[in-house]
Amino acid sequence: MDFRLNEEQELIRSNMREFALKYVEPIAAEIDENARYPKEVIEKLADGGWMGMPFPTEYGGQGTDYLTYAIAVEELSRSCAATGFTMSVHTSLASMPINNYGNEEQKKKYLTPLAKGEHIGAFALTEPGAGTDVGAATTTALLDGDEYILNGTKTFCSNGPVADTFVTFAWTDKSAGPKGLSSFIIPKGTPGLTVGNHFMKMGIRASQTSEVVFKNCRVPKANLLGAEGSGMKIAMNCLDHGRIGIAAQAAGILQAALDESVSYSKQRIQFGKPISKNQAVQWWLVDMATDLNACRFMTYHAGWTKDQGQPFTKEASMAKLFCSEAVMKHTIKAVQIHGGYGYMKGVKVERLMRDAKITEIYEGSSEAQRMTIAGSILR
Amino acid sequence: MINIVSCFKWVIDEAYVRATSSGQIDLESVDYKISDYDRNAIEEAVIIKEKYGGDVTAVTVGSPEASKSIKNALSRGPDRAYFINDTSFADLEPSQTAAILADVIGAQIKYDLIICGEGSSDLYARQIGPRLAHKLGIPCICFVQKLEIKDNQIIAERRVEAGIEIITVPMPALVTVLSDINSPRVPGLKDTLAASKKPVVNIGKQDLSGNYDPKLETRETRAASLKRSCVKFGSEAQDVSGFVQALLKAGAIR
Repeated sequence: MDFRLNEEQELIRSNMREFALKYVEPIAAEIDENARYPKEVIEKLADGGWMGMPFPTEYGGQGTDYLTYAIAVEELSRSCAATGFTMSVHTSLASMPINNYGNEEQKKKYLTPLAKGEHIGAFALTEPGAGTDVGAATTTALLDGDEYILNGTKTFCSNGPVADTFVTFAWTDKSAGPKGLSSFIIPKGTPGLTVGNHFMKMGIRASQTSEVVFKNCRVPKANLLGAEGSGMKIAMNCLDHGRIGIAAQAAGILQAALDESVSYSKQRIQFGKPISKNQAVQWWLVDMATDLNACRFMTYHAGWTKDQGQPFTKEASMAKLFCSEAVMKHTIKAVQIHGGYGYMKGVKVERLMRDAKITEIYEGSSEAQRMTIAGSILR
Repeated sequence: MINIVSCFKWVIDEAYVRATSSGQIDLESVDYKISDYDRNAIEEAVIIKEKYGGDVTAVTVGSPEASKSIKNALSRGPDRAYFINDTSFADLEPSQTAAILADVIGAQIKYDLIICGEGSSDLYARQIGPRLAHKLGIPCICFVQKLEIKDNQIIAERRVEAGIEIITVPMPALVTVLSDINSPRVPGLKDTLAASKKPVVNIGKQDLSGNYDPKLETRETRAASLKRSCVKFGSEAQDVSGFVQALLKAGAIR
């Protein structure tokens, strides 16, 4: 058993860190405040090859393993969780299904510009009445000659307002149960596709989220992803990949919370000594650092398991569950360590605490993760 | 086609250096980096290559642990690296490093232009450039903030106390650069992955024939400490002498 990252992975981490410190950290508070999409940063990420890390070079990707990708998401999220999430959704939820289930033509046409970062991808699964309960979705896709006609409303679509390519899900045969859901690739500008305005959120405010409405939206048969009826399988596979990204994002936020808390507690003098001399503060920092270590190992292990070609659903769920709950718990403490200052806008831990909350909700809430894990241990 | 060599040093990142309560330097949990000015040296070499056509060789001398620095340097754009390493090369003096660099560069690397950082982030002795140029018998221009190549000549803008001095020298020559000369690029993932495929020449002590004895003896290293004290004085004329007395007593004035 070897717990070390290799030299290349270490260098990728340090170069992503350098990127984040130079281009992301200085604007993170501003894009949060204004809920602004950092287009200039995403373009720089694309130039550097960061927007298509785990995809084959023949389709415009960089051919890294998934563990290395998780490390990059973690380091980017350490400076800005919203930017890290934009990259993560684009990669693991929008591009990954085309990589895993697309045919040659779809990979050339859609995956290649996505992997190069020339196009941005979005994933439209959730509906107003169908969150964790994917089967409650109502969007339909009726075959009419050589075209499918989509009708329905998706919500909380991450990257929606800025996306060029949507991967979405609709019933082709509602009577077939889970085997009646199919997946489609919908390019921006398709008649009948309407993308709503960016929702204002509590955290990860720079990540763009919207409603996506299909009204008699016609797409050619060629845009069906995978076989008809394989939508549920594709959605679950995407989410398995996505969860490793969210676990990495949570680990990045937690690292930032620890960095800020250590630094502040050593500077803040109360009763004539730095508050880091108080055992209460020390123990909070210790618990933070300990959980961070566990977060990293669980996330990297899930990524490694995938890279070995083994089933990784349980590992990804456990990593996502543990990391998201740990980062929520500890960012609350990070604000506590900062006292009144921590409650102020512009102080990093205030943003970290708001950003942390979503990791317990999206790409499968903590409760959904527990259902998945229960299913695998009670088999 | 200009053959450019850029020299760099793998140094402790000063942000991680701590002083212990007993005044010692704590290097337990330090991280390392390419010395700041050397990043400018590498960047300038790559800029010149991109502008005029050429080829960049990055060279470093250090302990085998500095192997991490090689891919790091290569991800910033050079075409190949020379890694001169030995366990005894950990804390070399500038005279030793310059002599080793001169022996390797002189014998093995084709060069028209050698670019060094003005000084290293750790020692900032600013000796490598001039010593290396001297040993190779080529012109040396220090404090360079702008560099151009024209008709096989190097035109360098030096920042000196009185203003700016513009110097033209024929190649081959060596320049040492200031941080103002450029803003080093951040390597992308593509550059980082490409770095693994670039050639690296490893050179050990056994491949060198020179004598690199140290000229200095380090007796002790201690952390710098800053002692603050706060004394209040009145604002009347007669309080001034008290203030002067206090400064004299503290040894701040004589």
